[in-house]
Amino acid sequence: MHISIREEVKQHNSAKFGIAILLLMLTIALFAPLLASYPPNMQTPFAFEPPSFSHWLGTNHVGQDILSQLLYGARTSLLVGFSAALLATILSATIGTSTALIGGLYDRITMRIVDAFIIIPVIVIIILVAAYVKPSLWVLILLLSLLGWQGGARIIRAQTLSLKEMGHISAAQSFGASNAYLTFHHILPDLGPILLVEFIYGIRRAIFMEAGLAFLGITDPTIISWGVMMREALDFCYLDVWQWWLLPPGIALSLTILSVTFIGHTLEGALDPRLESEAIA
Amino acid sequence: MFSIRNLALYLIAMFIILALNFLLPRMMPGDPLMAIYGEEALVQMTPALKAELVERFALDQPWWQQFAAYLSTLFTGDLGYSYYHNAPALEVILGRLPWTLLLVGTTLIISTFGGIILGIESGWRRSSLQDKSLLTGLMVLGGFPDFFLGILLLIGFGVTWAIFPLSGAITPYSGFTGAALVLDVLHHLFLPVTALILCHVGVSYLLTRNTMVTVLKEPYMLTARAKGLSNLVMRYRHAGRNALLPVITRTGIQLGRMITGVLFVEIVFAYPGLGYLTYEALLTRDYPVLQGVLLIVAVFVLIANFLVDLSYSKIDPRIRYAH
Amino acid sequence: MFQVRYKIPRLKTRISPLKVSLALLTLALACCLLVTACSKTGQPLELVSYTIADDTGDWGYPSPYTHYARGPGYIRMSFLFDTLVWKDASEFVPALAKEWEYISADNAYIFKLRGDVTWHDGVEFTAEDVVFTFNYTKEHPFQWVDSSIVESAEVLDKYTVKLYLSKPYAPFFQDVAGTQPIIPKHIWQDVEEPEKFIAKEAVIGTGPYKLADYSKEHGSYLYKAYSDYYLGKPAVDELKFVKISKEMIPAALKGGSMDAGDTPPEVISEMEEAGLTVITAPYAWNAKLTINHQKEPLSSKQFRQALAYAIDREALVQITQRGHAMAGSPGMIPPTSDWYNPDTPQYEYDPAKAQRVLEELGYGLENGYFTKDSTEFVLELVTTARFKEVGQFVKQQLEAAGIKIDFRTMEDKTVDAKVLAWQFDLAIYGHGGLHEPSILNKMITGEGFNSARYHADETLNELLENQLTEMDRGERVNIVRQIQEVYAEDLPSLTLYYPNWYWAHDGSVELFYTNDGIAFGIPIPLNKLAFMEYKAM
Repeated sequence: MHISIREEVKQHNSAKFGIAILLLMLTIALFAPLLASYPPNMQTPFAFEPPSFSHWLGTNHVGQDILSQLLYGARTSLLVGFSAALLATILSATIGTSTALIGGLYDRITMRIVDAFIIIPVIVIIILVAAYVKPSLWVLILLLSLLGWQGGARIIRAQTLSLKEMGHISAAQSFGASNAYLTFHHILPDLGPILLVEFIYGIRRAIFMEAGLAFLGITDPTIISWGVMMREALDFCYLDVWQWWLLPPGIALSLTILSVTFIGHTLEGALDPRLESEAIA
Repeated sequence: MFSIRNLALYLIAMFIILALNFLLPRMMPGDPLMAIYGEEALVQMTPALKAELVERFALDQPWWQQFAAYLSTLFTGDLGYSYYHNAPALEVILGRLPWTLLLVGTTLIISTFGGIILGIESGWRRSSLQDKSLLTGLMVLGGFPDFFLGILLLIGFGVTWAIFPLSGAITPYSGFTGAALVLDVLHHLFLPVTALILCHVGVSYLLTRNTMVTVLKEPYMLTARAKGLSNLVMRYRHAGRNALLPVITRTGIQLGRMITGVLFVEIVFAYPGLGYLTYEALLTRDYPVLQGVLLIVAVFVLIANFLVDLSYSKIDPRIRYAH
Repeated sequence: MFQVRYKIPRLKTRISPLKVSLALLTLALACCLLVTACSKTGQPLELVSYTIADDTGDWGYPSPYTHYARGPGYIRMSFLFDTLVWKDASEFVPALAKEWEYISADNAYIFKLRGDVTWHDGVEFTAEDVVFTFNYTKEHPFQWVDSSIVESAEVLDKYTVKLYLSKPYAPFFQDVAGTQPIIPKHIWQDVEEPEKFIAKEAVIGTGPYKLADYSKEHGSYLYKAYSDYYLGKPAVDELKFVKISKEMIPAALKGGSMDAGDTPPEVISEMEEAGLTVITAPYAWNAKLTINHQKEPLSSKQFRQALAYAIDREALVQITQRGHAMAGSPGMIPPTSDWYNPDTPQYEYDPAKAQRVLEELGYGLENGYFTKDSTEFVLELVTTARFKEVGQFVKQQLEAAGIKIDFRTMEDKTVDAKVLAWQFDLAIYGHGGLHEPSILNKMITGEGFNSARYHADETLNELLENQLTEMDRGERVNIVRQIQEVYAEDLPSLTLYYPNWYWAHDGSVELFYTNDGIAFGIPIPLNKLAFMEYKAM
């Protein structure tokens, strides 16, 4: 499975768009303290100000600058998105390859558990846990990854199984290569693109969940998040402030999710030649 | 089809959920009594009453006794007693379930059929302007979180232009019956379902379209054309039919997931379904209801999967023989 | 793969599925728009109907033992059940009792009851029901009334009751006679588990309304007027309580789908322009900074006072409440109350003074923050998400004065648990009941997590005890004033602000805020007496 990612991206405008937006969000997240004109938590007596020169997106109900909050919110979304996805991908790669290579009882039991988890509704579990333990950011990342690796594990296991049959793997095995060696030197490199796709979709899921949970008020409300901004803006929807308070975080969130989706789709298209010519634009 | 393997699978899933339901309470901080009765109440409550309530709710029993009781009562269909609702948890949950099913059902039917039709048309006219704009448009929509779309619709059509109701499933005590009642329900259903459809139609659309593209290259399509069949018949009876399988499978899986997938939209529109109940139960720390919802939803998902397994073989005869 | 290069001519009949689905969608949309037009005319015109908006919706089955332990729960029950006395806009008025007398020799009240009252099921109301109620509460306490206050109840004749008190109790009318719902003996005498009693009979009372429907899942209540009510049939035939999110209430009120509800301060002028009447609640609720006075360094009175000097409560109101509140008085009782002591120390905002006080206590400023013997100390401030902005403000202010604060928001239960177990430094809470000074007892020496649980000051303890038994109003006012002074000196908690609360209504029913709150002090303008009159709009 050798795909040139660069080639794929070059061919598809959507992927270019996706990467551009994602890079933009990353930049914003990294340089938020420099880009923001005000500390995002600074309360002032000037609440509900419409957009002006001093506050490009106006102020919220306690006079905080919305644009600064928007910029800092990118940090939360991307941090949670990337971390949860990374952890989940590592988990699914580990479990997926090990079950395929080791096989036997371990394989059967683990896969039953994996399948069972796929059935279980994630959001209800998170809410149930949140009823007992208010999740800090790291607990949230942990939860999201623990509940998100199962889908990928299945796919990776299937891939590993088919790879196992390939010539070069059996050859290496007959030369006495250990499972660990096989995994790291042969299988993982071949799995690369799939892992990447899983990672990308994991990011999308995690970003959506973080925003959704923040919107519900389940996560720490003192952490600046697009979801929290949307919830606070909705609480005041009877005033004409939602235009500059609710829309920006919603659009930023949607753009981020979109960009990740486009990238993921392009990569998926690359993996499945039948779909190749059908990716957008 | 339905095999021992699947059964074992479903049992394991249920066990994990039960274990979860049991483990979590042990991490419970503080006294539930405080959260149930707010500050003003505690201001007025006498010590005698507080003691009576603690006893009544068995909050001081050791955990294993609570768990043993939980398991045995589960087998009698008793999911616990909701402190907050002053009613059996099962009753509360089942009372909300129909609304969620209405939401999920309507959304799935419309978005699946809509997606299939759009997908077929799009796949047929691959790479045309219609196809490309539809593809891009639906993908963009899919990027919006459902609750964001819901909020926009609510603010737009509920608050700014008061065309649709602001919340709930029906107008309370309106005195409507028959057709008027049905229309009232539809009226309240419109915005939430629209938000959900806009988000989910892309899934079946994309799947259908991609399958169409593949199927159109098959030799039997050429045969059909050579036979002189109209485009319409070709599209639907031949190509579309074969494109159905993955979509139906996907829809079946979606059915299970959607029960909780509509949670955010229910909350935005205060639609009295399971999702909204879960949220309320979270706010009031109504543990029996929370755990009950998890169980009921899991059962539903399992049933949905089972139905998918069944219909799978009906749609594609090849599979029936393979088993 | 063959490429099809020629086109087969299309057949005549071409029904594009796309167009069909679009047509269906348009039809569905048209139907829904039609419903909008139709749904507004659902009411038969003769019935007077009044709809009240509520954010929470479900407050429990409106029977005395099953409604939720919050003000709105009591209110819904109060439309169905009566008390011995009630209140109108300004004072106590007769309800089930038409006259009363206090016999100081026996420390008892004699209530002469009305003779024309019937229960909703037609049975006559007599003194037996009153005595039964008070005896029943000995075994099954009513959640809002301390059953130890009434020692015993005696039937003197068919319509006369004598209630013996266990000790002199100044707020008897507010806390007991005006709060305890009277339940029918013929229904409740066999009820062993009142909390599970949700049969139709459980809501049979003497009140102006009968329960027609209650939906837990929709959070709605439908009340129908009781035509044989002793004050006459209420003018409003149908009362509906309907659930709607708080932020949607203004739109619903303006649109006319609801007639009354809680209104946020920012839209008041908009509401008035739309022709609605807006009423203002008297201050009865406060948010306060609870201080752990058991723990160093907060165990020092001066340290606590320094905190008060360091927090600008005026600015807090301006910023976190956008001006829609009144700065808190350290004596807890709001300045608008009759019980207020104008000489209560106010701790005017003076961060420099705060620093001086701390320095006198032996703390030194290092790098902008205070340290004791060169060890840094950090105070932990916990709040629930509701007070997030207030907490952030307090943190800002205290840090500006040099006190380092670690601010966290937590779940209600977690905060409650920490506070109860004295595992906190500072916390922010809110509570109501500020009408009646007995709240001071509950909130200073009481055992709840809301309370300061402060027993260290003997003078204060004595004053608090005395105020409950002092039957002479003038004397009692004096005692309460003294309490405020001493309490503000000791400062085990600091009242931060009293929020402004408003209700808007369409004017057809003259809603009012009951003086000192409904019953024991509920600050909601839903007094059943208001619904006896109606003006068509």
